[in-house]
Amino acid sequence: MKSLRKSRLSAPVVMILVTGFVAVSLLHLLLTILTSQSVYELSDLKREKRELDTTSQILSEEVSSLASNQNLLNTASRLGMVANTNPVFLRLTDQSVLGQPLPAPIASAQSTNLVANSAMIIESTQINQVTVPASTTEPVAIPTTVSTSLIPASPTR
Amino acid sequence: MNQTGQTNITRRMRLFLTVSAILVVVFAIRLIDFQIVRAEAISEYSYENRAVTRTIPAIRGDILDANGEVLATSVYRYDINAAPSMVKPVSRVVDGVEQVISVEAVAADLARILQEDIAVLLPKLTGTSNYVNLKKRVDADTHRSIEELEIPWIFSDAHQNRLYPNGAVAGNLIGFVDTDGLALAGLERQFNACLAGVDGQERFERGVDGIRIPSSAVVTQEVAHGRDVVLTIDASLQYHAQQTLASEVERLDADWATAVVIEVKTGRIVLAAEAPSVDPNDPGKSAPEERGARVFQYAYEPGSTMKTLTAATAIETGFATMATGVVAPDQMPLFDRTIKDFSPHETWNLTLAGVLTKSSNVGIIKIAENIPASTRFDFMQRFGFGKPTEVGFEGETGGLLSDYNNWDGVTNFTTTFGQGLSVSAVQMASVYQTLANGGVRVNPVLVAGCADDAGAMTSVPKTTSTQVVSAQTAQDVMLMLEKVVEDGAIGQATAVPGYRSAGKTGTAEIQEGAGYGDYFATSFFGMAPVDNPQYAMGVMIYKPKQVHTNSMAAAASYQKILSQVLLTNRVAPSTTVSPEIATEW
Repeated sequence: MKSLRKSRLSAPVVMILVTGFVAVSLLHLLLTILTSQSVYELSDLKREKRELDTTSQILSEEVSSLASNQNLLNTASRLGMVANTNPVFLRLTDQSVLGQPLPAPIASAQSTNLVANSAMIIESTQINQVTVPASTTEPVAIPTTVSTSLIPASPTR
Repeated sequence: MNQTGQTNITRRMRLFLTVSAILVVVFAIRLIDFQIVRAEAISEYSYENRAVTRTIPAIRGDILDANGEVLATSVYRYDINAAPSMVKPVSRVVDGVEQVISVEAVAADLARILQEDIAVLLPKLTGTSNYVNLKKRVDADTHRSIEELEIPWIFSDAHQNRLYPNGAVAGNLIGFVDTDGLALAGLERQFNACLAGVDGQERFERGVDGIRIPSSAVVTQEVAHGRDVVLTIDASLQYHAQQTLASEVERLDADWATAVVIEVKTGRIVLAAEAPSVDPNDPGKSAPEERGARVFQYAYEPGSTMKTLTAATAIETGFATMATGVVAPDQMPLFDRTIKDFSPHETWNLTLAGVLTKSSNVGIIKIAENIPASTRFDFMQRFGFGKPTEVGFEGETGGLLSDYNNWDGVTNFTTTFGQGLSVSAVQMASVYQTLANGGVRVNPVLVAGCADDAGAMTSVPKTTSTQVVSAQTAQDVMLMLEKVVEDGAIGQATAVPGYRSAGKTGTAEIQEGAGYGDYFATSFFGMAPVDNPQYAMGVMIYKPKQVHTNSMAAAASYQKILSQVLLTNRVAPSTTVSPEIATEW
């Protein structure tokens, strides 16, 4: 009689233990699945970041090159612009002209760039890229990281 | 169940329990061995199998001009490699249909993108090797194009590379690095401690699929990226000056030319240009002698631009005034030599102002003949001659200024008009800066400092101001030099309309062997505007074959560069006129 009562009392305990064990196992399984998914998602995001870093580098190089003094001179010359080396200022306080206004001499036009720049490109290679609308948020400094490629590193040397 | 059966069960049970107990003990021992005795070693072994150590490369800092324009930066370049042992046709899905692309076709694509000859590239893909380089240091755009081909036997290695977006603009100052990133010349080498960072290191764990285990990364050494070197140079003005000099070198058939501009009040070097100049992106294209910075590294006998310093010394020491008169024939005997003026002329009665305007060698000797050599030597030193400037550019020359006790009779006098000593262009420009700044010499500055990410500057050079001559002396000399621009044919060619400017011509002979050669180092040094001096500058054209007999060769470049400097910096034109100063008596 006593042992029967004892076994009746232990049944709920056993149920709770079993249920708890199953619940913990399921939770563990769920967390494992989620973590695994996150790992791969993180890996994809890192790959995407590398891609964007590469794009950023390509665009930065192009902007720097297109903004170089050599490129500006070439472009200005193509547009027929001539530098006037004769500075003249208008003083607003007494409306006087400071300096001697003279037309820019045609001879001053140095249409050919004489300062070498082997890194210079003539036009962007990205002109056919989809234009991305300007961000409305303030730019933040992005730390530069090593941009390893999607192509795997060489297996041997 | 009978007695025998009961006994068998009991025996089996005992046997089972005994075996179980033994197994438990064995496992327990092994467990203790694994978990306690060898726990650390096993854990370490396991970690070593999972863990990967990666170097975090430090990014080399940029070199910036005074306005933040990038003159040197770091980018990534890629070596494109293949594993010939793995080479086989590539499967690609085109319009939903899987196609097999032959090795030859893939090689043709590679050759097109890499701009290589297919006949050279294709043989590289055969063999049993696991590594062959197809092309070194391709840019990111090319690398991406290769990547898009999705060729499983193509690999790449990323390398940091130096890019100079403005090419040869300030190239002679910046210097360059080799393909391994080792700084070889110029500011790249001199400020390597600022530019180069310290590589970091991290360890992380990787699963069997190669995917990094989150939160497993441990940075064992923090990476310290390089900092930026900020120059005082204005890249746009530097470019304009180089362009002007390159044009003039070509027109005059000169060997080379330099120009330097110093901000009068701060000593900051706004430009230090030369032609030909080196493109740091491809320094191999320039001859070795064209890869340095002649403004700092080349010393020459200055010639008549030195008369300015002699005049300042004479006035400061009370041996002369602007109006002091001398009789100046076109030549005079001096020991075993005859000192001649630049061209024959009748005897002139010149004031000191006239001596400068006419650039009379005989006249300046007569002005300075009573000044003790020790005094003149002292002033030369106070103006910065005989030692490199405070810029401290690598390989900078201090010129040659021998002790006055070693001057022979001729040298004692020829030093008054710029022979028997040598200086660099920046040293001479510093003399004109001093006189334009009320007699106060401010040491020239080329590098503003080393800036970290937050913009905080370190290695900021000290600025020292030294009163070399009085403000009155400096003003007198400047007004006399203004007459050189107003009255001299060469000086007039340097004038910028609307501005009062001052300067001095120099046509220095160039030593060849024991004597002097046929060609000259022609120069013009000066300051502007005279009524509110902002910039001191100098141009030197070395061995012009056309217009080689006077400093007219330097005048055109000087005028163009000065105009651009005044215009770019919005310097207001002069509103006063120069005073009358007698040049003859």
